[in-house]
Amino acid sequence: MSNETAAITRHRAFSIARVFAITANTLTELTRLKVFYVLLIFAVLLIGSSVFMARLTFQQEFQILKDVSLGAMSIFTSLLAIIATARLIPQDIEDRTVYTILAKPVPRFEYIAGKLTGVLLLLAISTLVMSAMFLAVLYLREQTVLHETLRQMSAAPREQIDDASRAIRSSALNIDIFPGIIIIYLKACLLAALTLFVSTFATTNIFTIVVMVAIYFIGHLQATAREYWLQEHSTGWITRVFLALIALIFPDLQTFNLVDDIVVGAAIPLALFAKTAVLGIFYTTIYTLLAAFVFYGKEL
Amino acid sequence: MIDAAVTVSGLTKVFPVPFHREPVVAVRHLDLRIEPGDVYGLLGPNGSGKSTTLKIILGLVSPTHGRTEIFGRDSSLVESREAVGFLPENPYFYKYLTGEETLRFFGKLCGLSGSRLRERSDQLLELVGLTNARDRRLSTYSKGMLQRIGLAQALIHEPKLLVLDEPTAGVDPAGSRDIRNLIVDLKQRGITVLLSSHLLAQAQEICDRVGILADGVLVREGRLEELIAIENQTELILENASDALVDRINTLATSSNAKLIARRRSTTTLERLFLDATSEDSNK
Repeated sequence: MSNETAAITRHRAFSIARVFAITANTLTELTRLKVFYVLLIFAVLLIGSSVFMARLTFQQEFQILKDVSLGAMSIFTSLLAIIATARLIPQDIEDRTVYTILAKPVPRFEYIAGKLTGVLLLLAISTLVMSAMFLAVLYLREQTVLHETLRQMSAAPREQIDDASRAIRSSALNIDIFPGIIIIYLKACLLAALTLFVSTFATTNIFTIVVMVAIYFIGHLQATAREYWLQEHSTGWITRVFLALIALIFPDLQTFNLVDDIVVGAAIPLALFAKTAVLGIFYTTIYTLLAAFVFYGKEL
Repeated sequence: MIDAAVTVSGLTKVFPVPFHREPVVAVRHLDLRIEPGDVYGLLGPNGSGKSTTLKIILGLVSPTHGRTEIFGRDSSLVESREAVGFLPENPYFYKYLTGEETLRFFGKLCGLSGSRLRERSDQLLELVGLTNARDRRLSTYSKGMLQRIGLAQALIHEPKLLVLDEPTAGVDPAGSRDIRNLIVDLKQRGITVLLSSHLLAQAQEICDRVGILADGVLVREGRLEELIAIENQTELILENASDALVDRINTLATSSNAKLIARRRSTTTLERLFLDATSEDSNK
């Protein structure tokens, strides 16, 4: 060992390499959680089994397949976001690993950013796996239905066959599915950031999970409550500030539910997709900053 | 003037207790100065404020009053930690990582990468005697091995100051001896060591200076040999001395107005006896 005691590298206020080291370690930690595999296998099985569900027409079959699969993806990613994130900081504090990390020249914001990025990567991997399964099932069913239709309509005029093929393709695998999957992922990112924020002041994982489940349900119901409130009460600035605060604490998760349009084969307007995506990124950023702010002042 | 390795000035830490009238005062008006190259022992019973003081020095807890510095830099600043390595009490590292992966993880946090990180990891695994266990997961490490890998991660960025919170707590005598030898080795390499302990015999063996905390107050502080010396007594240890010789020494002492207080056979320590016995047993 050298006796040169000067610091090896000059300290940087922010270092991507340090954040990446924490991210990679967090991802490794999370992929070793049994609950991750249980949930992932359950979701993949659900997507796979949707092929066998009862249907009358090919439109109904594709509707059910999309409804079940996108629903499973949404619930799985949301659950995983909450369960995986809730344990990260309390576990590090309990095991004292947080002391060894923060006793190094690592700013607390980098620790928070690294942890969250690890979760977001895990969610991205899960979303990709489920999407691949979903799209493969959808494509295989589309091809089967196409072949059956072509066989049955072998004597029909060319125009009729083309119309039938177009109808099958438009109700099965189409580009409108992808914005829906991106929004499902962004909703999970939002929930992960909010869970991280709650876990910075919670004392146990269970408390964080219970609070997050409550927020999840309130978040899905708050749009209805807000409409009712605005109908029944005046819309002065105090009301609006109050509602804005409520919307910040309990994000309107129903906004991220674009699956219904996709299921019936309707395209998501670009403006709506962009607005929802920006809202998801905005919420995720705000909650991450709040988590960093609370964690910055936390006595460890 | 050379900066002190650690300076603590007027440090007080009060922890508010919800629903209680009286907050807990963990540390009161503490002043310390640790010189570079010293091994400093912060001693005291459980709850005396040792760990809180170390956490404040490391920026993990903020002081209520006062200031702490590491080599002249405010220790609340993240960059001050470039000069510090820390081993917490009973550390649990990530169990799914191997010894080598653990060092690589902490090395990356300190800005190391590539061949420098590899070389540094190799050196430290060698230093702490874990080269053969480098590819084993930490879940299979013994308590003593965990402490040694903890010491290695604390040294990964060649810090000038090493802070050890109860470094031998829960470790068996052999593991404890290894850690003690490592601390002595680090001192010889010029590294300042600040350790907290309530194992006084071990602290006595390795510390240059000690501070004794009780209820958050520094009740004694100074160079170890000065603190424990009994001014008016002298020890003679004789080998192969006959009873007649010892009687003559006693007579000589009495005639010089001195008094022989104790006369007994020298003994080894229980620790030495244990280490010799267990090493003999393992050599069979």
